[in-house]
Amino acid sequence: MRTELWHPLIVHWPIVALLLGTLFSIAGFFIKAKGWRYATSALLVIGVVGAWAAYITGEWADGEVARNLCDPTILKAHENAAFTCNVFFSIATGIQLLNYFNLVFLPPKLVHFIVAILLCTGSYFLYKTGHLGAELVYEQAAGVQVPSENCSEFE
Amino acid sequence: MRVLLSLVVVLTLSGIMTSCGDSTDVVESGTYKGTIKEVEADKDEIYVTTDDDKVLELYFTEDTKLTRKGEPVEFSELEEGQKVEVEVEKKGKKLDPIRVDIQE
Repeated sequence: MRTELWHPLIVHWPIVALLLGTLFSIAGFFIKAKGWRYATSALLVIGVVGAWAAYITGEWADGEVARNLCDPTILKAHENAAFTCNVFFSIATGIQLLNYFNLVFLPPKLVHFIVAILLCTGSYFLYKTGHLGAELVYEQAAGVQVPSENCSEFE
Repeated sequence: MRVLLSLVVVLTLSGIMTSCGDSTDVVESGTYKGTIKEVEADKDEIYVTTDDDKVLELYFTEDTKLTRKGEPVEFSELEEGQKVEVEVEKKGKKLDPIRVDIQE
C-alpha cells in the first residue's frame, strides 16, 4: 500500500471519537446515567490515541505528497492545527481520567467545566485541521493518483 | 477558582500560539542567502532562514544542484546551522530549489 494512504485510513476514526466524546462530555452536565462518564472517557482515550496515530501517519504522508503541492503552506497549517488539536484533546483527556479515578481534589463540576472548555477548543482546531486537509485533497490533489486522460490503466 | 480559570486561559492561549508557530514563507524567484534551520534527510528537504528572517521550505528535486563553494557534494553534507546560498523558482506557492551552495 502507498505510504500516504495510511493517513486517510486512520484519520476518520479519531474525528468521530473525539467529537462524540465532546458531545458526551457536554451532555454529561444534564445526564447523570450510570456509565456515562465511563463512555465519555473511553471515547476520548480512543480518540486521543487515534489522533496521535493520525498525526504520525500524516508525517509519513507529508514526505510523499508535499513536493507535488502547489501551495505547501496549507500543508504546514494543517500540520500545526492538527498538533494543537491533539494537545488540547490530550490535556482534556488527561484531566478527565484523573477526575474519573477521583484523583483531582477539586469540585467535580468545576473540573467537568474545564474539560468541556478544553474539548470545545480542541473541536475548533479539529474543524480547522479537517478543513485544511480537505483543501489539500480537493484543491491540490494531495495523495490522489490521477488517472490518465484515456483511462487506459482501467482496461 | 481564579487559579483554575487562569490555567484554562493559559492553556488556551498556548494552544493558539502553538497553532501559529512553525510557519514557512513564500518568496519570489531569485537567489537568497541564509542559514539552514533544519535538514530532513528522509524527505530530501531543508528549511532555510534567510538573512531577512524568512523561512523557506525546500524540497530537493532531481534537477537541484547541490554544491560546496561551487563543487558538487552529496545531500548528506548538509547540516543545521550552515550558511547557504539558494536559488529558488516559485511555482504557485511552491519553491523549487534550483541551486543550493554551502558557503563554509
